[in-house]
Amino acid sequence: MSAARFASLAPGLAFIALVLAFLEVAVDRNWVKAVLIPAPSDTAVVLWNIIWSGAFADPVGDTLGLLFAGYGIACVLGVVLGVLMGYFRGVYNLLEPLAEVLRTIPKPVLLPPLMLFLGLGFPMKIFIVALAGVFPVLINTMQAVRSIDPVLIDTARTFGRGTGAILWRVMLPASAPLILAGMRVSLGFALVLVILSEMLAGSGGLGQLLSDMQKTFLVRETFAWLTIIAVVGFALTAMFDWIERRIAFWSRSAVE
Amino acid sequence: MSAPPNSAARLRIDTVAKTFGGKAGPVEALRSVTLDVAAGEFLAVVGPSGCGKSTLLQIVAGLMPASSGRVVLDATAVTAPPADVVYLFQQYSKSLFPWLTVEANVMFGLRQRAANGDARARCRHYLDMVGLAGFAAHYPWQLSGGMQQRVAIARALAAEPRALLMDEPFSSVDALTRLDLQALILDLWTKNRLTVMLVTHDVDEAVFLADRVAVLTPRPGVISEIVETGLPRPRDAVVTREDPRFLKVRHHLLEKLLARPDDVRR
Repeated sequence: MSAARFASLAPGLAFIALVLAFLEVAVDRNWVKAVLIPAPSDTAVVLWNIIWSGAFADPVGDTLGLLFAGYGIACVLGVVLGVLMGYFRGVYNLLEPLAEVLRTIPKPVLLPPLMLFLGLGFPMKIFIVALAGVFPVLINTMQAVRSIDPVLIDTARTFGRGTGAILWRVMLPASAPLILAGMRVSLGFALVLVILSEMLAGSGGLGQLLSDMQKTFLVRETFAWLTIIAVVGFALTAMFDWIERRIAFWSRSAVE
Repeated sequence: MSAPPNSAARLRIDTVAKTFGGKAGPVEALRSVTLDVAAGEFLAVVGPSGCGKSTLLQIVAGLMPASSGRVVLDATAVTAPPADVVYLFQQYSKSLFPWLTVEANVMFGLRQRAANGDARARCRHYLDMVGLAGFAAHYPWQLSGGMQQRVAIARALAAEPRALLMDEPFSSVDALTRLDLQALILDLWTKNRLTVMLVTHDVDEAVFLADRVAVLTPRPGVISEIVETGLPRPRDAVVTREDPRFLKVRHHLLEKLLARPDDVRR
């Protein structure tokens, strides 16, 4: 880490430390009850044990497995349908009304009927995660494909490229920055639905664990696992940033 | 195709007309345009904005269908972009792929997939030709406008075309760069056997570059005159423009273009 980067991060990190220190004091002085909010130091001990014993691995693995499966389906489906809807008028006319209706439904309300219909297992969870994640990708991809400058397409045509090559080698890369922006939104949606579906239809994963802890008043454990979820979310975002910088590096520089 | 490879193509524009259906009724952009471009000839089409010259060039390139009439390349009617015709756009910054390096952009022009090393060597060759030897690993947006258009020219040449269509290729670069690129195009046209059709509103440019200049008058677009420039080659950016014959042709064309009765700028 460069000195400049550290200097820009330092105030924010110091502020978090300050908040934690204040919480520590507040619990110590009994301003808040430790059974409701544990002292950060107590949470840290529990967290340390969870990490040291390796107990975090299975729930995190379950949650990430569900996330990647559902989110992966959402991304692939969103890009494929988005490109087709953006490029072919007929496909757009066929699918747009349905997409418009489905996209506006808050996805959590679909959980109860889906649990009846698909049961409590993995397929139901993958379905709801994919459904929550697909629309931002789909809409952004469609918009991106439609806003590509015709000169770019004509250029490829004058070099003798057919529809397949134009879709794959021109439209997809040209749309990549907007597609990635959609995927970033989707990642947030998908993570919410992963945790929520685990809470409601638990069979492993961080969501079920958290809801169990809360029901049995294991407050320190609850906060320790919350921290783990926060770290997982942070790591996913950081990974996404890293990928985005490598794929869409040209988009800001290319716009004059 | 009957013509041998790497020879210039002959281009026939045969009574081409184009009418656009608009909300305020159909607009007749081109009416019965007939033009013959000989193999290896440099032909310029001049006309004011909105005279349909870009439409004409897009029809010739196979990017847009004509309402009637046809375009024939050697012996084949043009219905889709032909493999050995390359189009140079005015908006070079929109025509280059910003996610590809300069080299990869030029590589896009290669007609058949060559072996990787061979393809790179050919790209370097064409980049060298347009004076961008050291810029293969740059991205287009890291280059100046003139350099970007050079990349587009190198990519066009990499396709080893038999005809080159240019739609106001130098109108969005500064005046000195324009002279530079004009000289480059003349040089490349002499070295590679090419048929060139240039569309421009710059009379100066048309006379300086072309063998013949066709005048396209608007609403509807028709060819009103074809002038033989008759200037000797090689041409020089400074000396040729002082040649009395250059001035005479330029004078004639400008008068013709400015004397339009429906000129809104008057």
